[in-house]
Amino acid sequence: MENSEIFEILEKLCVPMGVSGCEDMAAMAALELLAPYGEGHTDSRTGNVMFRRAGWKEGRPVLLLDAHIDEVGYIVSYITPDGFLKISPCGGIDARTLLARQVSVYGTAGGETEKLFGVTASIPPHLSRDSSAAPKMSDVYVDMGFSDSREAGEKIRLGDYALIENGPVKLLNDRVSSKALDDRAGCAAIIMALDLLKDRDIGYNIAVTFTVQEEVGTRGAVTAAYTAAPDKAIVVDMSFAPTPDEDEEECSPLESGVMIGFSPFLSRTMSREMAETAQRHGIPFTYEVMAQGTGTNADRISISRGGVPTVTLSIPERFMHTPAEVVSLGDIRAAAELIAAYAEEGAAEE
Amino acid sequence: MTELISELEELCLINGISGDEGRVREYILSRIKDRCETKTDPLGSIIAVKKGRKPGGRRIAVSAHMDEVGLIVTFITEDGFLKCAPVGGIDPRVVFGRRVIVGDKQIPGVVGAKALHHLSGEEKKKAPDFGEMYIDIGAKDREQAMEFVRPGDSVCFEGSFLRFGRGMIKCKAIDDRVGCAIMIKLICDEEFDSDIIFTFVVQEEVGLRGSTAAAYTAEPEEAYVLEATTAADTPLSGGEKKVCRVGAGPVVSYMDRSTIYSRELYEKAGAAAKELGIKWQTKTMVAGGNDAGAIHKSRGGVKVCGISLACRYLHSPCCVISEEDLGDTYRLVKALLERT
Repeated sequence: MENSEIFEILEKLCVPMGVSGCEDMAAMAALELLAPYGEGHTDSRTGNVMFRRAGWKEGRPVLLLDAHIDEVGYIVSYITPDGFLKISPCGGIDARTLLARQVSVYGTAGGETEKLFGVTASIPPHLSRDSSAAPKMSDVYVDMGFSDSREAGEKIRLGDYALIENGPVKLLNDRVSSKALDDRAGCAAIIMALDLLKDRDIGYNIAVTFTVQEEVGTRGAVTAAYTAAPDKAIVVDMSFAPTPDEDEEECSPLESGVMIGFSPFLSRTMSREMAETAQRHGIPFTYEVMAQGTGTNADRISISRGGVPTVTLSIPERFMHTPAEVVSLGDIRAAAELIAAYAEEGAAEE
Repeated sequence: MTELISELEELCLINGISGDEGRVREYILSRIKDRCETKTDPLGSIIAVKKGRKPGGRRIAVSAHMDEVGLIVTFITEDGFLKCAPVGGIDPRVVFGRRVIVGDKQIPGVVGAKALHHLSGEEKKKAPDFGEMYIDIGAKDREQAMEFVRPGDSVCFEGSFLRFGRGMIKCKAIDDRVGCAIMIKLICDEEFDSDIIFTFVVQEEVGLRGSTAAAYTAEPEEAYVLEATTAADTPLSGGEKKVCRVGAGPVVSYMDRSTIYSRELYEKAGAAAKELGIKWQTKTMVAGGNDAGAIHKSRGGVKVCGISLACRYLHSPCCVISEEDLGDTYRLVKALLERT
């Protein structure tokens, strides 16, 4: 798969809206991309994308590949008398990015979902005395260009979703900036791994879950892991790439490859196997050591049912939870190659 | 009206921060060169004279500025990030997390700072200032970045043109391409008795510099300054602090922080609006300033009139005005020029 093809997958995955609790559109896009490799559907109770790779044979161990499909965003929580919206965060949003931004609001008051645009209000510098204080969510209003709450109410209801939409753009060196790379880049890595494994007979049944509501507390993974009932799991998510002000000990640079997780919550055996597999195949990787939990779906999946040996693979990312996240296509490739190599080899040993 | 809106769209999407207005100037010249006499002054402002049917009256000027606020690259770090300083008055809080376009090669980049997850409790309460932000163009190191970008390159916000809500328009650079759009249409579509001098000036956002020189050259007796002005009519401000309201008509100013406007022209503008049946407003605070501040002190003095579009989120990549205000402002300015 060429880098341009990975970019095309990201374009399809990152553009659809999928704020936590409203992931349908993103899930549909993901299912379309998964279709060539097996059977998938959206779970009607939870919205999780549940998928089984073609060639599923009863009795083989199940290897689960998980990434989350939701993204951080907002939910409309109040409409002011003059027709402005108050919004509340879904997930750990960076409110520092919230002034004078174009916002999309998916209004449902008219029956069908209608995509509307607005702008977050800010006080212009001519009138503002202090620009050093970070904007607070409580001070954020969305200007929908309506005259009053009645006009707003014809289009928008409390509970409608909103977000800042920035589709993928290529930077230098096959680096990409977009909203929602966290964790659609993880979904892309899994899709690419399936492509690498296409038509290969391997010892695992491969299940894929693209889970909802990770950003509000890794909730979708709880039910998805129960339903998928895997024997082992690989969770693909984002971690930090260094920028001039970051502590390099907590980060791995862009283009350093995939980050293999080590944590008390994870299977030490799988972590070691991943590192060995990467070494054998010449796949670039670094170690991501977490002294506590991983803060990802892995923390849930590993204690699903009677317990599931789990490992995390992370893709280094800059500016996490802003509309301008940055990743490198090469690191997505490294994650995909490692997943594919592990799936092929790991099962041969059993 | 449709023409005026598409003219505005064309103009706003051109990148031209203060001191780098060349692309805006080329576009404007291409639009007006067959309709009037034009010259470009040494600083880059356009001085365009539209001949009247009965010339010989007072010297009348209409002025708008071509430049927009943005950033300028000041330094490239060893690891290939661009450090920047603001050009014009920008709240650093509207810059973080934005997509930008850098330099003549139009390289895409994003403005970053330390990730939220790594901020201490105290740091979370503070917004990153320009010194703490940098532009990521994806370069691996300084050497590679220098192939695409140089210190001194301009940085513009990426901003799409959007019509939304009830007759609202959103884009970057509405301040003051909206003035330029009105002037282009007046030049192309209207005829006046008097000669009218239209000045499209540079460097307003860094201290009314282009208009200082252009007013000297144009030598008007009476000048109409077309602008976008601060509307704070959101729930963030109350009472008089809303300053003016989007959708409440052209803003005619009596005083701001740079100018006390000609009372005669202020009254004349109000009367003309009333006659035309156009609602108009004035600002409820003495705030902001514009090229009138330089023009009224030019040579031996010039009578000035400030007519502005009420604009929300001024100096951000998301300026908002109303279509109705745009149409009414055009009609009002046209009527005033017909009465000179």
